[in-house]
Amino acid sequence: MSKSRKHAQLAEFWRRFRKNKTAVLGLVILIIILSMALFADLIVPYSKCIDQVGADRLQGSSMAHFFGTDELGRDLFARVVHGSRYSLLIGLATSLMALVIGAVLGASAGYFGGWVDNVISRIVDVFMCVPPILLSLAVVAALGTNLRNLIIAITVSCVPGNVRLIRSVVLTAAEQDYVEAAKSYGASNARIIFRYVLPNAMGPIIVNTTMSISDMMLSAAGLSFIGMGIQPPSPEWGALLSNAQIYLFSAPHMLLFPGLCILFSSLAFNLVGDGLTDALDPKLKD
Amino acid sequence: MEEYTNQVQIGEKLLEIKDLSIVYKTDLETVRAVNGISFSLREGETLGLVGETGAGKTTTALGIMKLLPERTARITSGQILFEDRDICGLDNHEMQQIRGQKISMIFQDPMTALNPVLTVGEQIGEALYLHHQKELSPKEIEQKVEETLELVGIPKERKNEYPYQFSGGMRQRVVIAIALVCNPRLLIADEPTTALDVTIQAQILSMICDLQRKYGTSVIMITHDLGVVAETCDQVAIMYAGEIVEYGTLADIFTGEEHHPYTTGLFGSIPSLTENSARLHPIEGLMPDPTDLPKGCSFSPRCGKCMEICRQQKPDVYEKEGHQIRCHLFGEGKVKE
Repeated sequence: MSKSRKHAQLAEFWRRFRKNKTAVLGLVILIIILSMALFADLIVPYSKCIDQVGADRLQGSSMAHFFGTDELGRDLFARVVHGSRYSLLIGLATSLMALVIGAVLGASAGYFGGWVDNVISRIVDVFMCVPPILLSLAVVAALGTNLRNLIIAITVSCVPGNVRLIRSVVLTAAEQDYVEAAKSYGASNARIIFRYVLPNAMGPIIVNTTMSISDMMLSAAGLSFIGMGIQPPSPEWGALLSNAQIYLFSAPHMLLFPGLCILFSSLAFNLVGDGLTDALDPKLKD
Repeated sequence: MEEYTNQVQIGEKLLEIKDLSIVYKTDLETVRAVNGISFSLREGETLGLVGETGAGKTTTALGIMKLLPERTARITSGQILFEDRDICGLDNHEMQQIRGQKISMIFQDPMTALNPVLTVGEQIGEALYLHHQKELSPKEIEQKVEETLELVGIPKERKNEYPYQFSGGMRQRVVIAIALVCNPRLLIADEPTTALDVTIQAQILSMICDLQRKYGTSVIMITHDLGVVAETCDQVAIMYAGEIVEYGTLADIFTGEEHHPYTTGLFGSIPSLTENSARLHPIEGLMPDPTDLPKGCSFSPRCGKCMEICRQQKPDVYEKEGHQIRCHLFGEGKVKE
């Protein structure tokens, strides 16, 4: 494939993505949130996240503290801005890892069938029996608490569902005539899976992955809440949320701002995901 | 590339099938889809495999491609010799070298045989890429793809379009382009025109014939349409319930004196323009259940000339100057009427 053609395809893809207004809105929100994470240090220094000012405890929004302060007098705006780094990293990393592992296992199970399917599916069944949060807990408890282990733990709890989903969409995609046709051209199994089966099963997979990003952020929040996730005083949106619920009535702003951030970022991921699905599907081309 | 000649050059033996039997085995039942068929095909020759739905035509084709469903299908006996090598003994990797390059297949339904997410150019280039990526640069592959598109009558500018942008007839041309792009020695056309309307049918058939002449490709034409056979084939095998009941040249089948009763029935089922008959003459009854074939001749339950021996004993092949008929009415088992 020539360079100019790749370029043309990209331009075509962008043209179609742009036509979908809600997807563009999602992309804009996503860019704002991502730049917030990237340039956090420029927006507000990290030290403001941990400086405790006893006099300023549980204050509402003001010019000094845009989002108010928490129960220890820390600036909530700084904590939300720096928290985006942890939350987005956890959401994206876990979803992508779960997608890759799920795609390899699910596609093998669905495409090859037989004993491969049996082995993979039965192992997945076992994992499905354990509630995801308990599974994550077990992994964190075994490995110790830090960011890397938290990501591993959440990925592990997300993989079984992905494997099942991808197995089922691959199962239908692999029965199509063009897969048999591809075999008749002499294509290898790996090539058939990655060029014929998975691209045709992409729609539900993309939607599921973008949806799962927000779920993953919430799982991380849950683990942080019981002290198995991000360790204080590091800020993380979920941790901020769980911290806030004690002060739900006295200081609702503590809940509001991190909550809005989680809401908008998951909304943005979902909108972009939908837009991607439509823009990548040649059948829907105007 | 061979020089263009108007006459088909019939060459050496390319494919020989000896006593091939294929069953589909599941826990519940055993379907005997192909039962001891033999035929051979020389270079540049076209063989028509004719029969009703379920006669085992497609199973035979998939057997030659070694694309039978792995979990259920078994080749229980026989040999498939392609270029004097038994295909049955080849492993998957060796078979991938042959598929697409030496043997290729045109699928029945062009609406489902193309991958919707790849452009037609990419799909035509697929076989070239798979088999010639060492010799050909990406540019040469592109060029060959364009040539092949023009060959099947599609402007080369359309190579970047997706299958959904083509009509059924155009898609079948793309499918044919894919099958021909590597200049295979054997082309298996599995009912290539069934899903198309009549005007397009004629175009597609004449195109296949032209290309065959040009490249000296051997063709197995699977069809249930005797008109297609008359247009395209040199040899004809009539299949019934997994057996070849009659085999001969085009002339043997269409103008020969002696016929298997099933062949007679097939011809009787075609509406005629010249004869003014009120009704067609279909063959009564249905194909026997392939899980439970009759003890004697498979056609005996539907045969108008059925005799006692037909129900008891499988008929042997009666051969006269290459024209083979599997029926008790002829040969040694012949019973005086």
